[in-house]
Amino acid sequence: MSESGITYLTDVVLITCVVMHGRGDDAVKVAREAGVAGAIVYNARGHGARERLGLLGVAVEAEKDVVSMVVATEQRDLVMHSLYTQLGLDRPGAGMVYAVPMDKMATYIPADVLQRLQPGVA
Amino acid sequence: MNTSRYRYADYLRAGGASRQHISLNQLVPHLERGADGRPLPYTPPKLHLRANEVLRLLQPYISLRFMDQLRAVLPLALYLALFQLLILRQLVAEPWLVTAGMFAVIVGLMLFMEGLKLGLMPFGTVIGEQLPRKLALPFVLLITLLLGIGVTFAEPAIGALKMAGQLVSVEQAPYLYALLNQWSGTLVLVIGASVGLAAVVGTLRFLHGWSLKPLIYISLLLVMLPTLYMAADPQLVTVLGLAWDAGAVTTGPVTVPLVLALGVGISLAAGKGGGGLSGFGIVTLASLFPVAGVLFLGLYVASVQTPAEIVEAVRLAAASSQAGEAVWYTHSPGLDIISGVRAILPLVVFLFLVLSFVLRERLKHQSEIFLGIGLAILGMCVFNLGLTYGLSALGNSAGAMVPGAFMAVDNVATSPLYNYGVGLVLALAFAWFLGFGATIAEPALSALGMTAEELTNGVFKKKTLILAVSIGVACGIALGLAKLIFNLPLVWLLVGTYALAALLTMLSNEAFVNVAWDSAGVTTGPVTVPLVLAMGLGFSHATHAVEGFGILCLASVGPIITVLISGLWSRCTSAREVRAAAKAPQASSLETLEDMV
Repeated sequence: MSESGITYLTDVVLITCVVMHGRGDDAVKVAREAGVAGAIVYNARGHGARERLGLLGVAVEAEKDVVSMVVATEQRDLVMHSLYTQLGLDRPGAGMVYAVPMDKMATYIPADVLQRLQPGVA
Repeated sequence: MNTSRYRYADYLRAGGASRQHISLNQLVPHLERGADGRPLPYTPPKLHLRANEVLRLLQPYISLRFMDQLRAVLPLALYLALFQLLILRQLVAEPWLVTAGMFAVIVGLMLFMEGLKLGLMPFGTVIGEQLPRKLALPFVLLITLLLGIGVTFAEPAIGALKMAGQLVSVEQAPYLYALLNQWSGTLVLVIGASVGLAAVVGTLRFLHGWSLKPLIYISLLLVMLPTLYMAADPQLVTVLGLAWDAGAVTTGPVTVPLVLALGVGISLAAGKGGGGLSGFGIVTLASLFPVAGVLFLGLYVASVQTPAEIVEAVRLAAASSQAGEAVWYTHSPGLDIISGVRAILPLVVFLFLVLSFVLRERLKHQSEIFLGIGLAILGMCVFNLGLTYGLSALGNSAGAMVPGAFMAVDNVATSPLYNYGVGLVLALAFAWFLGFGATIAEPALSALGMTAEELTNGVFKKKTLILAVSIGVACGIALGLAKLIFNLPLVWLLVGTYALAALLTMLSNEAFVNVAWDSAGVTTGPVTVPLVLAMGLGFSHATHAVEGFGILCLASVGPIITVLISGLWSRCTSAREVRAAAKAPQASSLETLEDMV
């Protein structure tokens, strides 16, 4: 592999999970157990259900944790299913999870892995 | 081995797990168009949930908040109950009533905290941001002073002080009894005014960037002089414990955020914010000024009433109340509810008046705020009920039984249970671990630890602070218990510990002084205060001491000393490291010089 070479990872999907503030770490844990390598947690403020529920809206926290992670296409449904069920996203106001198709990504790939997958190149 | 790989989606489809797809296009609203053909702005209708959906929405919301309070209350309650059961071999009196009371404490705190967040904090932020910009400084300070009074009335632990008054005997400590009964309204007012004054002085400190040290010396002088004067008078000396404990009671979950919001808002508006130390100091002053306030009130009461008059008045009152039918709001359940409403409403009305007449602002989400205020009032009432039947009862019975470990007391049949030395050590260890356990779990302390770590650029670790404060509180409570057992004079304990604290303050730098003195205030939450107060009173009752106050104030000065010491120690070690690092290259250059020669 040359110094300036780049290895793209393809067949990737971006899954983003929006949960109430404080539960972002739970989402990361669930994703990790479903085989996701890593995730990023952002803090954000959400609007929607809280305004439309009237007084019940106080039960919906406006402060959100946005957890986004890149997964393989084959992992997509398992990860979404795990997040949806284990974080209780089937409850009103609990949050949401969505998947966005991605073209490709690149990051550091351990030399051993690279050698195993592309013996000719490395 | 032959393993086949399937996609999870294929597996789900084959397994028949329920999956449907709905097009979002079917859910979007149809926009009306105006005369010019442009879409009109759309206002979404209110969502309506079915009963079971409402349940599913509320269940995590409530359970999360319930668990928060449960985690704070349960370990302490279990510790007290198990200590009585295993070490003292006594059952807690009326276990079901106490359990129901503790449950009420948890539910009450849960409702109150949520009400505080929804109903009172929005006022705090808006007033803190807007008021300093719209009004001249003297008016802002006046409102700060009034706010101090309001928040003190709303502080949950204040109820515990009044409750403690019912356990004091009027013959032994007439002035203490008078302050806690006939004068109890004035007492809270004076404490509140002192907190307000502390907020004003603290805010001025932000504005002018004063150092905290001289303020501490001046306030210490202000509280020590009347303390020494009153210690010489056998009638007035009983008030000392109450006065010093009042300082610890005031700095709770209502006062600290509301007063800080205003103080920080003022310094931001003046362009003096930003300094890492702004926000500190108010808590310190708010725990010292009330001491002086209560001491002066005690002196005033002593100047208008003689002890004999007080005893006479109480006898007359008792006689008349026996004759007449007691009104529903003068005894337990009714009284708790009335005092809950009385605690919150004045503060809310005051904040509302400031907002609508001074600032001419309207708050967003008004219905949420009214819900919050309702929750806060309801929570306060439930908490007061729990305070009477749960916390006070449990603390009181623990306090009354612990002396049974080393001396003969009436309510423990086989007392003394252990020989004097062992029992004494057990009692003191009980107090020590009670203080340690109650403090180390305090959420406010963790926040303070974070700030301290940032302020000192990591020299002072968060864990060190939490440990130092917990040990300080633990030693303070153990010392307080020792005071009750050996009948030590509180005044000399106070003079000694505060003199040590003042000495350490002189040696320490500004950041440590700020953190250390504030750590005294944050440790005494709404669960610890009533528990420790009731324990002290029960203990003093069993050992026939005159009054059981004074534990809390020793628990406040303890962490000041331990934090200052650990601050000095960590500065010493880091200075030694720096010196060692500076020395090393010098030595090597000397060697090279010698080599050259």
